[in-house]
Amino acid sequence: MKGPLLGAMFSRHVKRHPGLVPLIGFISVGLGSAVLYLLRLALYSPDVSWDRKNNPEPWNKLGPTDQYKFMAVSTDYKSLKKDRPSF
Amino acid sequence: MANHSQLGFQDASSPIMEELVEFHDHALIVALAICSLVLYLLAHMLVEKLSSNAVDAQEVELIWTILPAIVLVLLALPSLQILYMMDEIDEPDLTLKAIGHQWYWSYEYTDFKDLSFDSYMIPTTDLPNGHFRLLEVDHRVVVPMESPIRVIITAGDVLHSWAVPTLGVKTDAIPGRLNQTSFITTRPGIFYGQCSEICGANHSYMPIVVESTPLPHFEAWSSLLSSS
Repeated sequence: MKGPLLGAMFSRHVKRHPGLVPLIGFISVGLGSAVLYLLRLALYSPDVSWDRKNNPEPWNKLGPTDQYKFMAVSTDYKSLKKDRPSF
Repeated sequence: MANHSQLGFQDASSPIMEELVEFHDHALIVALAICSLVLYLLAHMLVEKLSSNAVDAQEVELIWTILPAIVLVLLALPSLQILYMMDEIDEPDLTLKAIGHQWYWSYEYTDFKDLSFDSYMIPTTDLPNGHFRLLEVDHRVVVPMESPIRVIITAGDVLHSWAVPTLGVKTDAIPGRLNQTSFITTRPGIFYGQCSEICGANHSYMPIVVESTPLPHFEAWSSLLSSS
């Protein structure tokens, strides 16, 4: 005999204890941003190589004005005027 | 430099260290507020009668979930901003290399022709009066003040770490790897640091001394050293 579904039990419990809603919200935001950042690193980081045949070393193909970091505090990468290091 | 009984950070001599000190003060106040609240509640629990009137506490659950989340955000946002700010190295005026050995540092200013030297600690037996024990070196790292300096750090044998607390710099020296850091000195002066990764018997006896001077003095020093 099947009991109530997991989702139904969950929503009934939360309705009885509404104080849990912000907890669920913040934990979801936290875990969600961690997972999303990991995905961003996996897919967009030039240090990661997925396709050994067609793109074996993506870190060798970095552009001088591309921004690879998540947040640029004071450097405006789009208007950086250098295509090679200055020695 | 550090005193024996100092509690806080050394005065900041670089903009990044100023940011770090401000963030530390901010985080410390947050910690103080939370500890005071917990201590108050603890004392309150110890002197009040126990009662079982309140068993369902939905409202207070809301408060003590949302408030800590806000506190964490208030800590995370400035922290991440400073973290990303520390990573930005644009257009250094000078690049110098610091190489850790057992048990001294060697520095190479390859922007100039042939400017490199070793930096050994001055032993206490040879220390002139009034100088700082275990901190002075025979050749200091002279840099021009108020200019972005890039330091590339590596090691020749085992792990070391190049650290100058007042500039907010600590970077590991790893054999076979180049680590990059940068700083700007906001004022002229002499800034001390010590090797910060255990590297053998004389790990405590290989300090780092950065001397920040106005540009004309730096140029005089560099031409003196590269010609000799």
